[in-house]
Amino acid sequence: MLEIRSVVASYGSVVALKDISFTAEIGKITTVIGANGAGKSTLLRLISGLEVATSGAIHWQGESLLGKSPESIVRMGVAHVPEGHAVIAPLTVAENIEMGALFRRRSNKDDVKLAIGEVYELFPRLEERKNQLAGTLSGGERQMLAISRALVSRPSLLLLDEPSLGLAPLVVEQIIETIKALCISTGLTVLLVEQNANTALSVADHGVLLSLGSVVADQPAPLMRADSALRSAYLGY
Amino acid sequence: MNTLITTLFLGTTRGAVFALVALGLVLVWRGAGIVNFAQMGQAMFSTYVASTLIIKGYGYWFAFLIALVVGAILGAIVDLAVMRPLTRRSHAGILASESMRATVPVIASLGILGVLQSLAGMIWAAEERGFPTPVSDVAVKAFGKTAPFTKFDLFIIVVVALTLVVTTLFFKKTGMGLAMRATALNPEVARLSGIRISRVRTLSWAISGVASSLAGLLITPSANLSPNTLDLILIVGFTAAVVGGLDSLPGSVVGGFILGLLIAVINVYVSPDDVFLALLVFLLLVLILKPGGLFASKKVRNV
Repeated sequence: MLEIRSVVASYGSVVALKDISFTAEIGKITTVIGANGAGKSTLLRLISGLEVATSGAIHWQGESLLGKSPESIVRMGVAHVPEGHAVIAPLTVAENIEMGALFRRRSNKDDVKLAIGEVYELFPRLEERKNQLAGTLSGGERQMLAISRALVSRPSLLLLDEPSLGLAPLVVEQIIETIKALCISTGLTVLLVEQNANTALSVADHGVLLSLGSVVADQPAPLMRADSALRSAYLGY
Repeated sequence: MNTLITTLFLGTTRGAVFALVALGLVLVWRGAGIVNFAQMGQAMFSTYVASTLIIKGYGYWFAFLIALVVGAILGAIVDLAVMRPLTRRSHAGILASESMRATVPVIASLGILGVLQSLAGMIWAAEERGFPTPVSDVAVKAFGKTAPFTKFDLFIIVVVALTLVVTTLFFKKTGMGLAMRATALNPEVARLSGIRISRVRTLSWAISGVASSLAGLLITPSANLSPNTLDLILIVGFTAAVVGGLDSLPGSVVGGFILGLLIAVINVYVSPDDVFLALLVFLLLVLILKPGGLFASKKVRNV
């Protein structure tokens, strides 16, 4: 279980997150939705260790994450795919994927090979383009690559930041369906941050709605999706 | 005609050494975002160590090897003892602005250069010394003719070529090489992939230390060893790195050779007194006309 308890975070004098608490269950997709500036990305950056919280606690399967470096947090099974199709453009597709498993290339040589084979199976287009530079890929392929880079670390918790950003609806659907299937088949836990609430809620098990740095709703995704008052108040549709 | 060939050979061997210096600078620039002005101070220091060992009766190759190790250790120490504490997050308050954060380590590297030069002066009494070559440095004679190069020139070319091949293979074929490229290109994604970027950076400093020590060992026989001998070499190496684009390892190597040839030609056909002036004019021209380096192309950007 991912447990976020009373987390406060600020940039200088601006408070980005005001006392956030919620939990995400193992093997489920929990989505954090809300408008731009609600603090969604900050939340993910706190979990993966890229930012430091002012106070509060974050636990993944009972282990505390706050105060640890991103390098150590990856080793605890938490993989973060940051916003904006974060791949390294001047490296090849194969190198980008290999990079995600570098830290365990000696201890788990065989499994690394296996994991790389699996992501190519998941996204065959990446295998076709494996010797191309990542910068030459389309937006959708880049997102697939960024997710693959995270998956080869064999995460138990996957943090996805706006995977739909700038992508065609069909591509978004394909990526989200792949993630959903992965959750079901491998028990992967996913924390999905999205501005596109409709897509996110259609695939998620649970929804957390953030507004201006506070949790305003925390309920099963289908319920949240049906709540038209909530939608019109916070999501504008 | 004969003069021209000799000049070209001289330019190529010198260029090979400048390429090493530029390579060292680019490694640290890409890895840590710092222009390391202490680099040739570190090289001077390790060359003095080699020279002392040779004077004490040890063999050239032993001294050569120890100098490279000292170069690596000095590089790592500069990072661990000075650069890492300077750029740590807890100092964010002192180094408030982005430009301060970029400038302070560079000023610190100038400080380290001063410290190393003073230390060398104290330890080795600032006396000028010669430095030996492992193979003959008189012109090679074959078939009754005198060739325009010496055995030592060939030695330099071979050593530098080997270094470049090994470096390229290291970056392209090994996991650590990939980790270093990833860290240089996008530290955040590298960290999220589990790459321990501070260790990788220290390694960049160490490798850069080896490359510049090697340059020191290869260039010093043609000058005399003193605490300030390598200052000019740093300026040439820096110009080579800028000509190559500062961001590109192959570019820095090509820049080194261009500078070697340019300097040799001016030395022979204009006047040795004008070399330094020509160097600065060339650097200015490159910065004004092609600030991204001679080989700057449209880059694939991370969006």
